[in-house]
Amino acid sequence: MSPMLIIAKREFRSYFDSPIAYIVICLSFFALGLMFFFLNGGFWQLDRASISRLFESTPMGLSFLVVPVVTMRLLAEERRSGTLEMLITLPVKDSDVVIGKYLGALGLVLVLVLSTLAYPLVMFKFPWNLGPLDGGPVASGYLGMVLFCCAAVAVGLLISALTESQAVAFFITFFVLGALWLFGDLASKAGGTLAILLNYVSFQSRLNNFWRGLIDSRDVVFFLSVTVLSLMVAFRALERRKWA
Amino acid sequence: MATDVMIQANGLTKRFGVVRALDKVNFEVKRGEVVGFLGPNGAGKSTTMRILTCFISPSTGSATVNSHDVFDNPLEVRRSIGYLPQRAPLYTDMTVWEYLKFAAEIRGLDESTFKQRLKKVVEVCGLAQSLGKDISTLSHGYRQRVGLGQALIHDPPILILDEPTSDLDPNEKAEVLRYIKEIGKDRTILLSTHNLAEVEEACARAIIVSKGRVVADGPLDEIRGKTGRVRYVVTIDEQRAEAGNKPPAAAQALEALQRLGGVKTARELPTDEKAHRFELSSASDADVRAEIYRLAVAKGWTLLELRRDAQSLDAVFRDLTRGDEKLDRGANWSAADADEDEADDSSSEDEDDDESDEDDEEEVVDAKSKGKS
Repeated sequence: MSPMLIIAKREFRSYFDSPIAYIVICLSFFALGLMFFFLNGGFWQLDRASISRLFESTPMGLSFLVVPVVTMRLLAEERRSGTLEMLITLPVKDSDVVIGKYLGALGLVLVLVLSTLAYPLVMFKFPWNLGPLDGGPVASGYLGMVLFCCAAVAVGLLISALTESQAVAFFITFFVLGALWLFGDLASKAGGTLAILLNYVSFQSRLNNFWRGLIDSRDVVFFLSVTVLSLMVAFRALERRKWA
Repeated sequence: MATDVMIQANGLTKRFGVVRALDKVNFEVKRGEVVGFLGPNGAGKSTTMRILTCFISPSTGSATVNSHDVFDNPLEVRRSIGYLPQRAPLYTDMTVWEYLKFAAEIRGLDESTFKQRLKKVVEVCGLAQSLGKDISTLSHGYRQRVGLGQALIHDPPILILDEPTSDLDPNEKAEVLRYIKEIGKDRTILLSTHNLAEVEEACARAIIVSKGRVVADGPLDEIRGKTGRVRYVVTIDEQRAEAGNKPPAAAQALEALQRLGGVKTARELPTDEKAHRFELSSASDADVRAEIYRLAVAKGWTLLELRRDAQSLDAVFRDLTRGDEKLDRGANWSAADADEDEADDSSSEDEDDDESDEDDEEEVVDAKSKGKS
């Protein structure tokens, strides 16, 4: 196994060795249930065989809480406790460290996201069948969500690479991802070029198309670009220790 | 020659902003040597080690480890070394076994080699009882052992240990030193510490750095002789005296000793006995023992102890590392160091511990040299 995958495995396991994974998953599901069935009248009032509510509320929760919590410690904690020195002086490349940690954290977030598949499966396949669910938007919605997670975790990792404090990493990630999400709402109030600009960078606006069953290559490229760019900057931030 | 030099540093300089942490450091470590890397806190020991392990890069200069360049071939360099950073930072959420396994996997050891090595490592580091324990529950001494274990798991030809004995209790220290001596027979070890007794215990050669410069490099005996002075310890009974004379007061005795020909400095040492104890120094070519004896006889003092030894490494260390503060460190920094001797240690970087240990260490060195004579 390559060093990158070993680091990813260790990272992923360490979430489950500490309470963090269980707390995040349990509370997220609780919150998702509340939002899905009760917020704004809830699922039943809509009276339609659609789980679009799931796609609307999950990324919001991920942006504001889950991703910041999961990514805050990635590099900040290693740097603070000095384990980074131990890790990097093993025969690993800096890129192995960045991508390994990224994959570990992304793994946990994806476990969470993919377990929300329980909603469409349980409600529309077995044991209940509440109506004919249109599979297309569900599939594209999940694709969008996965892409969104890739980008959000990369942003979180980047921010964690820039600081030694988990708390600072949490708040900045919370703020950045929250802003990127809320720009979508803001865009509808603003007008003109500003709205175009806000919509361009907003994760929410980008995801809108996926919810409607529309896979636009521009959106896919957008999320992938954010991911790659963030990882590259995180790599540079990690390398900076050599020269500073 | 080229293959025999395991670690080579050529003009390593490292600047952190205006502070020059290392200033043209040159040294070589050959195969099979155990070298003590000595210096006060903030002298640049850790910085040098971090450069050698490719964790940071030097501002100028170059280094090779196992004939791999630290710039061009960092992965090869890291493969050839086992490194224990200061204070053994480990992942506290893993068990000891998991941690060692993790280090072994990253180093590409296969399952059967890992098992073999693990057995050996567990034996020499004394980890058998703690393999299944979470690292977070271990005492610092045990963490240090785990750190040493991960540095050894791949049986590296070179070991770089940054203060491997800090925070250990005396038994553990002795154990680690014994172990270092043992593995040092067929390996190259660079070991940093500011505890001189340890160097005397484990190393044949020392490199002393101060303020980012190498101030001494050579076999311990050579370094000891470097200041060219000899040290005497004289103990005189403070209650009894010979032939009706009165026992001397400390000040009187000190003054009389100071006046002897050949004595350069004299000072009183603390002692538990009911006696006065003095430390004298003279130039290395003079021998003032006869003078001291005659003085005692003349005054009727009861001489309880008189011995001569080469100056302790501890004193050499202080001589060598003192007074360099103002060099290249930025004038405003050293101006603040009114108490230059020890207080300056705390000024730089991340090495903040152990100042209070200084006195203890002195005692240890004293006790040791007493034992030898």
